[in-house]
Amino acid sequence: MPRLNQETNSFKFTNQNDRKRLNGRQMGPLRINHERPERGSKVALIGWSVPSIEAIQQMEKPYIVVSHEDFRPYAEQHNIPFFAWDFGKPRHYQEVYERSGDLFAELVDLDVGHTIPIFEETVEWSGALNARLRNDPNVFDHSILFRDKAMMKRRAHIGGLKVGVFEEVENKEEVKRFFRRVNQSLLKNHSQEPDPIHFKALNKAGAAGHRMIFSEEDIESKLTDESFPGLVESHLHGMEISCEVFIHKGEIKFLNITEYVLLGYSSMVPPSAALEHYRPLIVEEVEKLIQAFDIQYGMIHPEFFITDQEEVYFGEVAYRIPGGHIFELIQKVYKFNPFGAHLLCCDPHTSQEELEKYVPKEAEADGHAGSFLVYPRKKTVSRVQIPPEMESHPSFDKHTLYKPTITKFQDINEGYGNHWGTVFLHGNDSEEISQLLTDYVDYDFYI
Amino acid sequence: MAVKMDTSKIEAFKQELETMESTYSFAKSMYQSNVLQAAAKLMDDEEGLSALYQLAERYEQAGIFQDSPWEDPSKLQPFLVKGSLQAGGLTTISEMLSELRMVAIAKGVYKREGISEGQAKSFLHEVMALNIDILFPEETEAARIEGKGKEKDRMERLFQFLEEKLSLASISGELVKEISGLIAQRPIMVNRIVKMVNHAEKLMEKEIEESDRKAIQTYVDAIRGRTKKSRNCDTKKYRNKIKNLKEDAIKTEAQSFAKTMRETGLVASNHVVLVRYINKQHPQLLAEALDLTNKGKANLEEHISFVQQLIKAGIHIPLKQSLYGLAKMLDRGVLSSSPVIPGLRRIFELDLHSETRKVLLNSINGNEGITANSILIAGVISVLGQPLGIGQGMNPTCQTARGISLWSLHAPGHLLDLIARAARDGDVDLTFEGQAIHSKDLREGLVDDLHDELDPVSLILVPHLDRIYSELVRRSKFRGDDVHKWVNPAFYGDWVQKGFCSVIDPMTGSVADYPGFVRLFYGTHHPDYNEGYELIYPNPVGIFITNAFGKLLGLHAVSIQRIAKDPEGKMRIYFYNPNNDSSQDWGQGIEPSVEGCNEIPGESSLPFHQFVSRLYAFHYNQYEQGDAYAVEDEIVQEVEKLAKESWGEQHTWVQL
Repeated sequence: MPRLNQETNSFKFTNQNDRKRLNGRQMGPLRINHERPERGSKVALIGWSVPSIEAIQQMEKPYIVVSHEDFRPYAEQHNIPFFAWDFGKPRHYQEVYERSGDLFAELVDLDVGHTIPIFEETVEWSGALNARLRNDPNVFDHSILFRDKAMMKRRAHIGGLKVGVFEEVENKEEVKRFFRRVNQSLLKNHSQEPDPIHFKALNKAGAAGHRMIFSEEDIESKLTDESFPGLVESHLHGMEISCEVFIHKGEIKFLNITEYVLLGYSSMVPPSAALEHYRPLIVEEVEKLIQAFDIQYGMIHPEFFITDQEEVYFGEVAYRIPGGHIFELIQKVYKFNPFGAHLLCCDPHTSQEELEKYVPKEAEADGHAGSFLVYPRKKTVSRVQIPPEMESHPSFDKHTLYKPTITKFQDINEGYGNHWGTVFLHGNDSEEISQLLTDYVDYDFYI
Repeated sequence: MAVKMDTSKIEAFKQELETMESTYSFAKSMYQSNVLQAAAKLMDDEEGLSALYQLAERYEQAGIFQDSPWEDPSKLQPFLVKGSLQAGGLTTISEMLSELRMVAIAKGVYKREGISEGQAKSFLHEVMALNIDILFPEETEAARIEGKGKEKDRMERLFQFLEEKLSLASISGELVKEISGLIAQRPIMVNRIVKMVNHAEKLMEKEIEESDRKAIQTYVDAIRGRTKKSRNCDTKKYRNKIKNLKEDAIKTEAQSFAKTMRETGLVASNHVVLVRYINKQHPQLLAEALDLTNKGKANLEEHISFVQQLIKAGIHIPLKQSLYGLAKMLDRGVLSSSPVIPGLRRIFELDLHSETRKVLLNSINGNEGITANSILIAGVISVLGQPLGIGQGMNPTCQTARGISLWSLHAPGHLLDLIARAARDGDVDLTFEGQAIHSKDLREGLVDDLHDELDPVSLILVPHLDRIYSELVRRSKFRGDDVHKWVNPAFYGDWVQKGFCSVIDPMTGSVADYPGFVRLFYGTHHPDYNEGYELIYPNPVGIFITNAFGKLLGLHAVSIQRIAKDPEGKMRIYFYNPNNDSSQDWGQGIEPSVEGCNEIPGESSLPFHQFVSRLYAFHYNQYEQGDAYAVEDEIVQEVEKLAKESWGEQHTWVQL
């Protein structure tokens, strides 16, 4: 066999060849066309939300609600255009895409041209439907960016946002290895108090599935085989805040900052001056986020950590209406309807004029509004009591506490669970509001 | 100085109302809390209530009650009002607004479909009668401290408003009806009756119907004792007074007390004083003091020395109701049943278990100078005298109450054995299919924290019996048929028939062959079809309890006592219901009566077919079956219709 006088498998050769292959290729995230094609007159709201339905009806836009069969009688009684659909419990995202075919066919018949997700679990459904409406499967994948926490963080990382170190894990052994490696990097493997890491469920809303791991024993005691697969992440130290960003044509139309006065319990809008001070930093980070995630339309609800060194770290981002009555707080102080703004921003067909009329440009907040979520604390409860000094406080706005219809309550042991009612506050002094929002955590509103 | 109402509060309310009025029907719930909150602020002053009352039509039409329990006023139940008023939060505010709406309807200022002025009025009357304690708040330190400030003030203000708008006369009628319904059943525990009578007494100063005034006076007299000599006399004073009376005067006193006691089943403290005195000084007057029947007199005469002992040990002021029990016990002639006297005597000197002693002594106020044995004897007297007056109180223990009642009627010796075992040994045992079951070895029953407003015998026995019953249920599970088939005969004893039939198919949980069930019951229980066999012992049956709208609330245990024709010649089922409720409405016009249809005090009754429509399981004698086929199809169909349209809505029906 003749031998060539050239070494084809030498390092230099391969390396140079590989570099040539890079030339002229489009690298980085695939940019998608987010425009809504000219088909179908209606918008479909995926998920049941009365304030959203009210908003779209007020705007007199053609719409239909897609939600569970259980809501059908109510919808029929009140003439709400409705299509019943059982979303079921798909085991993986691909199953959603496959199953969305039937729903898509139905919605096309109903003259739907665009869908908007209302809840965390409907984000991928809406993504799948919009993908079919636009004939572009990438639209579906794009929606998963807001659902799969590992994919989300990786994308943020690639996009240049600061994120903690993270890994996807399949079992306790992998959590242990991650815990050790992180602390090794921090030179804390021999420390009495290693840094904690966080374990999170891959795709649950809020704090559900979240565990803080302080030691290897914690891995055994706080996690079970059912916890997996999950995500582990190094600890980010600092203030946790959330934003509600209304985006249209890739531009921020309105950005609200929410202060978590007491995580899981109370929020305040706008935040105290100390936090508001970081607005420019936050805006900068949000713009990076919009770029990194290729967001053109919609409302995002990202969470950031602001460290002691005034650096902003990305926590996570959701593509849905935030919990904790944050929209109600925005409505209270900024005097526009965020439920409507959410729908307008989600629809590429919305005109600039329409948006500008609806969403204030430079909004001046009327005081501070706070919400306090009330959870039952006793195993059996039969009535409601409101602390009299709270009810008579000038900053007390209203509460929504009814006598519970069930008397025994089961602690679900996962996330903060559903709150049974809310206390709303409104006043000019953010410190006073913060105080009221923290004072009653241990108070028994339900007894 | 008259305080002018803050008009800004009304304006704020109207503004919220307008927002709600202008929104879509489906979005009302989003605005309800705003409107309610604004209403709550108005409720803080008197004029605020009138202002809300005037806006009642508007706020209801705006949707304040939409999709809430208050939406349909015709479906509201007066006895639930108090709970909602005390529930706090928006529940209380909604309830108050609902009452104001009712006033507007009752007064004719708000014409509303689905409910008439009269219906609204009678609803409010009943509400007021049931909440008379709010109408006349007690000015005690306790009430003041326990009061919940703002909410309590609002509630009292509402009832003052109701009193202004409606006549108290109609309330007294309601109240008298409630009391007479309870009294008719002659319960052993009368705390609730006494409380209501005390409230009713306050109405006497107001303008009310003469007949109500008279009725209330009778109840008050029965409790306070208004004989010639006892009027305005406390027990110590009365005791001294009667010492100087001649026998004739004593006799008049005795007759007077006996009369009110027999009329109401309520005992006055001074009656006890008198009977204890008579017992020592004039035992020949005992029959008068108790107004005994001939049978009672004979029983007394036969056992006079024992009865005297019994009075000394078991008839005391803090447990005065046992005096009525004694009278009824003698009338029943129970003492002539051979195991009863030795059984009672055993309790006199029983060495009580420390736990038993504690429970018994806790049931009275202390410092009364009465021993735990005396308390237990008083309890036994009541149970033997008023077998149908035994109640389950606030406990879910209908099965055990039913047992105590059955044994008191038919096996007093057995009952006394159980009481002695429980009180002395802290244990009750029973043999089930060859194996001994001891209550002391068992942990869980239906009730883990017994509500202690119970008669002394129930206080001692129920915890043991309840655990045994639950253990029997546990051991009989997964046998492919309803557990009661085995549990009831084992628990109650051989008085329960071995044949058993249930509407629910145990394997599928559905209703299978309902017509067959109905026919079998008619064929074994209805005199027209069962060849005339009489019911000899009470039959422990299971029933579906339904509310006034026929909706299923749950299962309940009662005993069929007897089956007989009522004064109108209609066949009725007379049954013992351990929950001693005065008036029950089971929906579809099915309302058990407690008096007026020949009921023995303590019995409830229903027309035969109505009772069957709520029946869930029963026992029968396999050797005494009549002609089930002969039951007319129309009857079976009528029962089936009642069943299907009430509790049956929550069950699957299978045709065989």
